[in-house]
Amino acid sequence: MSTAPRTTEPPADPLEAAPVLVGRPDDRALTESLLTPVLGPVKRGWVLLLLVLLCGMGFWLLSLTVTLFVGIGAWGNNIPVAWAYDITNFVWWIGIGHAGTLISAILLLFQQKWRTSINRFAEAMTLFAVAMAGMYPIIHLGRPWLFWWLIPYPSTNLIWPNFKSALPWDVFAISTYATVSFLFWYLGMIPDLATLRDSATRRAQRIVYGILSFGWRGSARHWQHWRIGYLLLAGLSTPLVVSVHTIVSFDFAISQLPGWHTTIFPPYFVAGAIFSGFAMVVTLMIPARKAFGFEHVVTARHLENMAKVILATGLMVTYGYAMEWFIAWYSGSSVEWFTFVNRAVGHYRWVFAMQMFCNVIAPQAFWFPRFRRNLVVLFVVSVLVNFGMWAERFVIIAVSLTRDFVPSSWANYTPTWVDWGLLSGSICTFGVLFLLFLRFLPPIPISEVKELRRELAERDHLRAGGAHAERP
Amino acid sequence: MSTFVLGEFAEERALLDAARTLREAGGATLDVHSPYPLHGTDEALGLRPSTVPLVALIAGVTGAVSGYLLQWYTVAFDWPLNVGNRPPHSAPAFIPVTFELGVLFASATIFVGLLAWWFGFPRVHHPAFEVEAFRSASIDGLWLSGEVAPERAEAFAAELGRLGARQVYVVPEGATR
Repeated sequence: MSTAPRTTEPPADPLEAAPVLVGRPDDRALTESLLTPVLGPVKRGWVLLLLVLLCGMGFWLLSLTVTLFVGIGAWGNNIPVAWAYDITNFVWWIGIGHAGTLISAILLLFQQKWRTSINRFAEAMTLFAVAMAGMYPIIHLGRPWLFWWLIPYPSTNLIWPNFKSALPWDVFAISTYATVSFLFWYLGMIPDLATLRDSATRRAQRIVYGILSFGWRGSARHWQHWRIGYLLLAGLSTPLVVSVHTIVSFDFAISQLPGWHTTIFPPYFVAGAIFSGFAMVVTLMIPARKAFGFEHVVTARHLENMAKVILATGLMVTYGYAMEWFIAWYSGSSVEWFTFVNRAVGHYRWVFAMQMFCNVIAPQAFWFPRFRRNLVVLFVVSVLVNFGMWAERFVIIAVSLTRDFVPSSWANYTPTWVDWGLLSGSICTFGVLFLLFLRFLPPIPISEVKELRRELAERDHLRAGGAHAERP
Repeated sequence: MSTFVLGEFAEERALLDAARTLREAGGATLDVHSPYPLHGTDEALGLRPSTVPLVALIAGVTGAVSGYLLQWYTVAFDWPLNVGNRPPHSAPAFIPVTFELGVLFASATIFVGLLAWWFGFPRVHHPAFEVEAFRSASIDGLWLSGEVAPERAEAFAAELGRLGARQVYVVPEGATR
């Protein structure tokens, strides 16, 4: 084999604060380092965390069981607050999922190199977030075992779903989103599953990853179609992700409730989705890159860029809040204006205050490079944003419902332990799925990082003065 | 029946030059195997442009049209549904599902089509996998393969070595069957 050094330092780029790839490890060293979480020994911390999260998952299963046996009377929902934690959780999780698609698809189309090493991770987050989200509308049906009535098929009931309602749109949007996200994720992973198959030393691993990679042999004839197919899936996912959260916002916007009935919802929901999703990627990535030693492929540059996206989308969300308030006042509708005043000074004012603090004030820290590069600040702000976006959905959904048109029907909402169980338990279940992903599948796209390394090495070479650069 | 010959190259440029030379010589179905897509393989192997976009377009349009027809048939034709006295056939309300089904059909066709049709998967018994060293094709190895008539296999292997392959393997006929 080659006797060249395994890692060579590239010439520094004065325009880049931090590189997208630290060093230029050769392909074999890169493969080894990126597969350590899968092929290396099990870490004790991983097992401990998994056990803790499994307990939380048990709580989630218990809450689900109670919901199924007792019905949604086990929740704090009432009339007028028919939608509360359940739909808040649904919108929150689906929004989190959107950052994964944004990173993997939209940034791919814009040829942003820094997306390469985090896209698999973010897509996995999407899948698990959508899995969590999809459950809420189904259990909210009251009789979830009849959920298939939403599917248009010629049944003996002789009736069809009402396609002029936002709820069947939701069914199509969420199921399409879940399916396409999975296909995109899996297609991108096939070459890496083959790498795992070929790097694994245990027979069982070779067989399992051999089956999962379907017999990928890195053929140029396959790569040609794979690249086009992958790019097309990215192109399809891009409008899809916008449409999904638009349709979710239609659930509210096409109704007539004050506080919901507004045309700014689709863009404002999409921006909020990306905002919370990026925050979740940062929340998960900071500990994971440390624990699994991915600091050379997920560098300060990635984290800083994500902080910038959080700041930008945070400003969009802030603009959305401002416009909502402005239109509520400018419309001259006293009911609409009352709803907004009630959010700020009513029974749930502390949730509103949390929303404003976490979503409007906290991200302003990212104007300063010092904070974008400080892992503690990044982590704390990203957790705050996750929290704030949940508060935002609660304020929009539940608080608007507590005070509708007729004062005689006003009522407040208090969650029960089942509501809390479905929320906290879903976070733990998400964590369990994520930990399993980190252990059993390649969390960083190996073939794409190799391609990136090759491009960067070529650039280094040109920059070093080699006009007729020999390819590395 | 043909024999499968594999050669491993150290250099991308040497690999592509060898592919071009062998393609001009003819008589073998060539392929390149690499851990990530290489630039210039399409040209070196003389591959035709991929048909994936066309098929995806057809599938997407089919999905969108069937999505619209489904909604029109169910709520406007088979059982006209009066909601808020809006017309049963309300095109704007049909857009979300039409769009989603277009995306779904196109994406599913790309994925299933790639695996089953363009890649010919699942195929875990390919002759290339008979060579233990071929494992490097997904890690750091650059390989050139050719399917040739059995009597030409030795000559082809020698040619691969002459063109710069570091190691050459001939997979015996019927090894995987």
